[in-house]
Amino acid sequence: MGAGTDSLMARIHQQPICLASALLVPWLTLSAPAWLNLSGVGPCWAVLWLLPWALVDGPISGLIAGLCLGLVLDGICIDGASQWPALMALGWWWGRLGRRVPPIKRSFNLGLLTWFGTALVGLSLWMQTLIFHFDSAAPWLQAWGWQTCLAQSFITGLIAPLIVSWQLLIWRRRARA
Amino acid sequence: MPWLLLVGALGLVRWSKGSGFADAYALLSRPFWPGAAQREWIQASSDLEQQAKLLLLEQDNQRLRGLLALGQSPRSGRISAAVISRTPQGWWQQLMLGKGQLHGIGPGDAVMGPGGLLGRIQSVTPTTALVQLLTAPGSRLGVWIPRTNRHGLLLGMGTSRPQLEFLDKDPNAFPGDLVSISPASTLMPANLPIGVIQSVDNRAVPAPLAAVQLIATPEAIDWVQVQIR
Repeated sequence: MGAGTDSLMARIHQQPICLASALLVPWLTLSAPAWLNLSGVGPCWAVLWLLPWALVDGPISGLIAGLCLGLVLDGICIDGASQWPALMALGWWWGRLGRRVPPIKRSFNLGLLTWFGTALVGLSLWMQTLIFHFDSAAPWLQAWGWQTCLAQSFITGLIAPLIVSWQLLIWRRRARA
Repeated sequence: MPWLLLVGALGLVRWSKGSGFADAYALLSRPFWPGAAQREWIQASSDLEQQAKLLLLEQDNQRLRGLLALGQSPRSGRISAAVISRTPQGWWQQLMLGKGQLHGIGPGDAVMGPGGLLGRIQSVTPTTALVQLLTAPGSRLGVWIPRTNRHGLLLGMGTSRPQLEFLDKDPNAFPGDLVSISPASTLMPANLPIGVIQSVDNRAVPAPLAAVQLIATPEAIDWVQVQIR
């Protein structure tokens, strides 16, 4: 299994289109389509890209991809909470999940994984915000954290079956080609 | 008898100051009333008059501030920039502008929209600038209540209404009070309006708190002005 996976990884890394698709994450994060949000909060595009990548490419690649995405996203957002710790953890976990179990294909499972991953990223950001602004940790800040976390994880989990299953299909096909 | 009724009816008209006749005239002459165009002319003249007054007052204000050696905020130091990315809600409440370091914008510059202050420049690249909105968690700004001449600290809470922390135990603030930049401010444009107090929590410790409704709304603004220092 290890050798097969290694060869799979080598092949998917030779697919420029797969790597280039990561550029869509900062692009979509910045463009923030107004028609695709819930209560003013848009989906977590990084999670939507990272899940299929890590499932196909393994834990090390997922870890590195999570770090790279996190660094880029931290660069285009205002200073404060950072995304890379949570994205790295998710990349590692999803990469192991992709290797140890039969391939995940069901839309419900993909939606559930992205929902959980987005909630984890949200909780990480919220905890960092509370730590950074401990002196002003008013009830308003807590209400905002809950609302943002729930809205983002819900909208991400809702569109994940459409986007992630399509990415998985293409990337698995290209990796095997 | 009919004549008596007619005189009585006309007497009622007289007593009611032409009621019925005047209303009928208004109803019949409605198609010939001054149209919207004429109302717009009068409104435009009024706006022009207000603008001229405002310009004169600003010039006067600048002259007086110069005499008192207070910080100047010349209009010539303002540049317009397009909003190229906007996330007014969520984890990062920010705007990205289509002008940056090459145009003279630097960190800390004030960003204004129609109505008042929106936020401050946090970082710049050669051609873009990232604006931290007043609503963003971590945003802190010293503000001023002109009616009571009291200072406060405006804190972003993530919600659309930032929290105003008063520095005094008895701020004497009420809903409806204007919140602005201090007239003595040298970092931000002096007297720039920010918002209106919506509610006051006098029982908060160590000092009362207030919720502030911002005047400028980032959701609907495509162009902003940046005050270059």
